[in-house]
Amino acid sequence: MITLGHYLIVSGLLFTIGFAGVLLRRNIIIIFMSLELMLNAANLSLVAFSRFRVDSAGMPNYNAQVFVFFIITVAAAEVAVGLAIIVALYRARQTTHVEDVNSLKF
Amino acid sequence: MILHFIVFLPVAAALAILVGAPARRTALWGAALTLAATLLAYFAFDTGQRGFQFVTSCAVSSDWRINFTLGLDGLSLMMMLLTAVVTFAAVWFTGEITEHENAFYACLLFIAGGAFGAFASLDLFFFYAFHELALIPTFLLIGIWGSGNRQAAAWKITIYLATGSFILLLGLIMLYRSVPEAARTFDLRALQKAASLGMIPADAQGNIYLLLLVGFGILVSLFPFHTWAPEAYASAPAPAAMLHAGVLKKFGLYGLLRLALPLLPEGAEQWSTLLLVLLLGNIIYVGLVTIAQKRLDWMLGYSSVMHMGYIFLGIASGTLLGTNGAAVLIFAHGVSIALLFGLAGEIRQRTGTLVLADLGGLGKVMPRAGLAFGLAAFASIGLPGFANFTGEVMVLFGVFRNGASPERFNIYQIATVLALWGVVISAVYMLRAYRSVFMGAVRESWSGLTDLSRSLRVPIGILIAMSLWFGFFPQSFIRKVSPTFKSYFTAK
Amino acid sequence: MSSALPWYILLLPFFAAVVIVLLTKSSRGLSSFISVAAVLGSFICSCLVFTTENIRSIELTWIDLRPILYVPLGFVLDDLSKTMLVLVTGIGALIHIYSLGYMKDDAGKSRYFASLSFFMFSMLGIVLSNNFVMMFIFWELVGVSSYLLIGHWFERDAAAEAAKKAFLTNRIGDFGFMLGILMAWTATGSVVFDDMAQELGRITSYPGYLTVATLLIFCGAVGKSAQFPLHVWLPDAMEGPTPISALIHAATMVAAGVYMLVRVGFLIQASATALSVIAWIGTVTAVMAALIATQQNDIKRILAYSTLSQLGYMVMAVGLASGEAAMFHLFTHAFFKALLFLGAGSIIVMLHHEQNIWKMGGLAGRLGITFLTFMAGTLALIGFPPFSGFFSKDLILALAYEKNPAIFWLALFTAFLTAFYMVRLIVVVFFGKPRSEHARAGREAPWVMITPLMILAIPAFASGFGFVAKLFLPLPAQEEHGWLVPGLALAATLAGITLAVVLYRRRESDPLDFALVRDRFYFDEIYGFLIKATQGVLASLSAFIDRWILDVGIIRGAGGTTWGFGSLLRLLQVGNLQAYSFLFGLGIVGLIYFTLFR
Repeated sequence: MITLGHYLIVSGLLFTIGFAGVLLRRNIIIIFMSLELMLNAANLSLVAFSRFRVDSAGMPNYNAQVFVFFIITVAAAEVAVGLAIIVALYRARQTTHVEDVNSLKF
Repeated sequence: MILHFIVFLPVAAALAILVGAPARRTALWGAALTLAATLLAYFAFDTGQRGFQFVTSCAVSSDWRINFTLGLDGLSLMMMLLTAVVTFAAVWFTGEITEHENAFYACLLFIAGGAFGAFASLDLFFFYAFHELALIPTFLLIGIWGSGNRQAAAWKITIYLATGSFILLLGLIMLYRSVPEAARTFDLRALQKAASLGMIPADAQGNIYLLLLVGFGILVSLFPFHTWAPEAYASAPAPAAMLHAGVLKKFGLYGLLRLALPLLPEGAEQWSTLLLVLLLGNIIYVGLVTIAQKRLDWMLGYSSVMHMGYIFLGIASGTLLGTNGAAVLIFAHGVSIALLFGLAGEIRQRTGTLVLADLGGLGKVMPRAGLAFGLAAFASIGLPGFANFTGEVMVLFGVFRNGASPERFNIYQIATVLALWGVVISAVYMLRAYRSVFMGAVRESWSGLTDLSRSLRVPIGILIAMSLWFGFFPQSFIRKVSPTFKSYFTAK
Repeated sequence: MSSALPWYILLLPFFAAVVIVLLTKSSRGLSSFISVAAVLGSFICSCLVFTTENIRSIELTWIDLRPILYVPLGFVLDDLSKTMLVLVTGIGALIHIYSLGYMKDDAGKSRYFASLSFFMFSMLGIVLSNNFVMMFIFWELVGVSSYLLIGHWFERDAAAEAAKKAFLTNRIGDFGFMLGILMAWTATGSVVFDDMAQELGRITSYPGYLTVATLLIFCGAVGKSAQFPLHVWLPDAMEGPTPISALIHAATMVAAGVYMLVRVGFLIQASATALSVIAWIGTVTAVMAALIATQQNDIKRILAYSTLSQLGYMVMAVGLASGEAAMFHLFTHAFFKALLFLGAGSIIVMLHHEQNIWKMGGLAGRLGITFLTFMAGTLALIGFPPFSGFFSKDLILALAYEKNPAIFWLALFTAFLTAFYMVRLIVVVFFGKPRSEHARAGREAPWVMITPLMILAIPAFASGFGFVAKLFLPLPAQEEHGWLVPGLALAATLAGITLAVVLYRRRESDPLDFALVRDRFYFDEIYGFLIKATQGVLASLSAFIDRWILDVGIIRGAGGTTWGFGSLLRLLQVGNLQAYSFLFGLGIVGLIYFTLFR
C-alpha cells in the first residue's frame, strides 16, 4: 500500500537532490535544471496532499491541483526567461560557470 | 479656477518644453502668464473678507479624507505673488544653457509649480506633496548644471532636506492623529476649527511643535541646521539659487505661520526660549560667519541664512505686530536675495570667479550692475524704503513689546537688542562685499567686461519695484495679511 | 489750514532724483538742471510755508496696526522745522548752484546730482517728521545719500573706504537710536512726538529706564553729528567732493543729530543724568576736535575738525538744557561753515585739487573775493564781534558759565583753540609766499562758484544779530551777565589770533610738532585694532567652527559614520550565487524550525 508518506519521502528526496544540485554544481544550466527539480518536488507533494485529503463526499481537494498547474505554467515562463538570461550571459562572458559570475559584490 | 490655472500652468509649460516646445520662449510666456494670473488674483482678492477665498475642492480619497483643496487667504496670496515674481525673474535671468536647455527650464517651472501648489493647498497632504515635488528639480539643477563641487552640494542639500521633510512628515502625522478620531482630517480649515475648540492637548502640542520646528527649521536653514544652504547656493546655477532662496525656502516659514502658530499655540509657547536661542544663532553667529566669507556667492548664501533669523524672530515674537512683520520680511527677503543671486550669477558668467579679493572696480565697467546690486544690497541690509526695512521694524517692535516692563528686560527684549546688533553686522558684510566688488580701481583683466544686457532691466525693475512698493506702502501688505494673523491672536 | 505744500517741498527733490536715475542719466546737463530746479522749487515752497501761519499738512498712513503700533507719514510744522526748512533748502540751493561749477567736467555728474537731490529729500524728511519711525527712515536715508556722495569717486580706494566707514559708524549710532526708540515706544505707547510728550508721565516714574532710553536715542545723534567716540568718520568723509562736505558734512546733515535732540527735548530734559552725559560728550568733542585741528595740514580736514568742534558746542548746549541756544548756533554755523567749505572748494579746484595748506600761500591777492568771503566765515567761526558766531557762541558760553563752570572753562579753551587754528589756516594759505607752482598760478573761480560765496557771506556776518535771528528762531531769554562772559570769550579769541599770527607768520613749515595730536589721538588705529581683535577674531572663529566642526565634523561626520557601517556590512557580500542560495536555504530551514518545532 502506497501511503502519503511514500509520496512525501520521494518529494523530499527530489527536493534535496535539487537543492544539493543548486548548491554544488558549477554549471548554471545544471543549476537551473536542479531548480526545476525542486519545483517539481513541491508539485509532487501538492498533488499527493490533494489526493489523500478527501472530504466527506470522497472528493479530493482540487485547489492544490489547480495550484500545481499554476506552478507548471509559471515555471515554463520562468524557464524561458531564465534560459534567455543564461544565453545573454554566455554571450557577454563566454561562460556558464557560477564562479566566473561574481560581480554582484561591492 | 484661477488657482488651478496658476498652479498647473507652470507644470503644463514644463511638460510642453520637455516634449519639444521652444524652451526659453515657452518658459517666459508661462511665467509671464502665471504672473499676470497671480496679479489678477491679487486685485480680485477681497481684503475685507475673512477666511479663504477662491476655494475649490475635489475629493481624492474618501477613506483617508484627502481632498485636493485650493484656496487663498492674505498670507498665501502674498506668497503666491512672491513666487510668481521671483519665477518670472529667474526664468528671465537664465542665460545661455549649453546642454539640455529644455530640461533646465522645465526644472525651473516644476519648482515654481510645486511652490504655487504648496502655498495654495488647504489640504495637508498636498501641502506636503507639492513641496516635495519642488525639491526634486532643485537637486537636478544643482547636480547637473551647477558649478564647483556641485555633486557633493547636490547630495548634501538632498539628504539634508529629505531629513527635514521626513521629520516634518512625522510631525504632520502626529498632528493628524492628535485630534479625536472622528475629527481627523487633512483639511486645514477643519484642523484650525478643531484647534480653536481645544481638541489638541497641550502635551501633544509641545511634541508636535518641536517636530514641526525642527522639520521646517531644516528646510529654512535654522541654526544649527544651516550648513547645506551656503554650499548649495554657491554651487547652484543662479536661477536655481534665486528660486530656492527666494521662494522654496520660505515654505518652511510659511508652514510655521500657517500650521504651527494657529494649531499649536501652547506648543509655541513651550519652545519659545529654544527658538529664540536658535534664531539668535542665525543672526549673530551666522552673521559673524558671513563677515569672514571670502567669496561673494558664499557670502550671499550665509547672509540669506542670517536673515532667516529675523523672520524666525517675528514668528517667535508671539505678537500680531511681529507676525505681520515676519510675513512682510518673507516677501521682502525673497525679492532681494533673488536679485542678489541673479546679479552674482551674471558677474560669475563674465569674470569666472566670485572671490572677493580678485574682483574690484566693477562699478566702472558695469554701471548698471553696480546700481542694481547696490539697490539689492541696500534692500537686504534693511534700508528704509525697501520692504525689508518695514519687515525688520515690525518684527523688532513686535518682539520688544512682548512682556515689556520698565523694570527689567526679559528674554524677548534681550533678543531684540542682539538682533539689532545683527543689523550692524549685516551692514558690515554687505558693504564690505560691495566695496570690494564694485568700488576701487578697475583691474586690468576686468576692463573689457560688458555691462548687463538692457533687457535685464525688466526683471530687475520688477523685483526692485515690488520691494519699494511694499516698503513705501506697507499698509497695502498689512491689510492683506493681518486678518489671517488676527484670528490667531484673538484668544489672547 | 491743511495743505499739500509741505509734500511738494519733500517730494520735488525725490522725483528729481528718480527722473535722473531712470531717464536723464546720459544727459549730464539736463540732469543737473532738473536737480537745481527741484531744489529751487523746494526753496520757494519752504519760504511759502515759512510765511504761512498755522499751516497743517495732509497725513498719510505708513503702518496702521492700532492699537499696537501706528506710524503716520505726517509732518510737524512748527517754528523749529520751518526755520530748518528754509535753512536746508536755502543753503542746499546755493550749493547745488555752486556744484554746477565745481562738478562741471565730472563724468559722474548725473549720478552726483541724483544723489544730491536724494540727499535733499532725506534731509527734509528728517526735518519734517512728526514721529520717531519716520525720522529714523529719513535718518537712514540721509546716511545712504552721504554714503553715495562720499563714495562719489568710488574708484579711489580712500573714498570707497571713507564711504563705508561713514555708513558703518552711523549704523552703530543707529543701533542705539533704534533701541532708544523701542524703549520710549514701549513705555509711552506711541512713536508720534506729540503723543509721547503727553504720555511722558508713564516713564518719568522709572528714572533709570528713562535715562537709558534717552542716552540710547542720543547715540543716534552721536553717530550722525559725529560726536566722540563715533566722530572718526567725519574727517574721512572729506574724501567726497567739496560741495558735499559743505552741505552734508558741515551745514545740514551733521546738524541733524542736534536738530533731533532739540526735537525730542521734552524727553531728554526729563532726565538730569542724561543731560549731563550729553553736555560732557559735547564738551569732550569740542575740545578734542579743536586740539586735533591745530595740527592738521589738509585744508578740508582742518575745517572738518572745526565742524566737529562746533557740533560739540551745539550738543553741549543741548546738554545744558537749552535747545534754543543749540539751534541758534546750528543756524549761524550752517552759514559760515558752508561758506568756509565752499571757499576752500574754490581754492582747491583752482589749485588743481591741491589740499595741503603748506603747498598754498599768498592767495589773498589772486583770489580776492574768495579771500574776503573766507575771512568773513573765519571771523564768524572764531566768534569775532560782530560776526554771527560771536553771538551764538556767547550764548552757549553764558549758559555754561551759569550751569557748569568746568564745562565753561573747557568751552573757553576751545574758543581759544578755534581762533588759533583758523588764523593759522588763514595765515598759511592766504599770506606769505606761494609754496608751489599751482599756488603761483591760481586765479579766481568762475562766477557760479563765487556768487554763492558772496550770498553766504551776508548771513555769515548778519545772522547773529538778535533782530535777524528772531525772525527765524525763538531766542532764549538771556539774563544779563554783564560783560564778563563775552569779555573772556573775546580775550580767548584775541589770544588765539595773536599766538597764531606770531607762530605762523612767514613760515615754510609747521613750527609745532605734536605727534599725538597730529595723528588724531590714534583713534583710527585703536578702533582698527579693536575691530580686528573682537569682530575679526570672532568672525574667523565662527567661520572655523561652522566649516570644520559643524559642517565637516557633525554633518559630514554623520554621513561618514553611515558610510562606515555600510562598508562593514558590504563584506558579507561575497558575490557567489551558491553561497547566497546556501544562506537562503539555511534561513528557510531555520524559519521552518522556529515556526513548526518551537
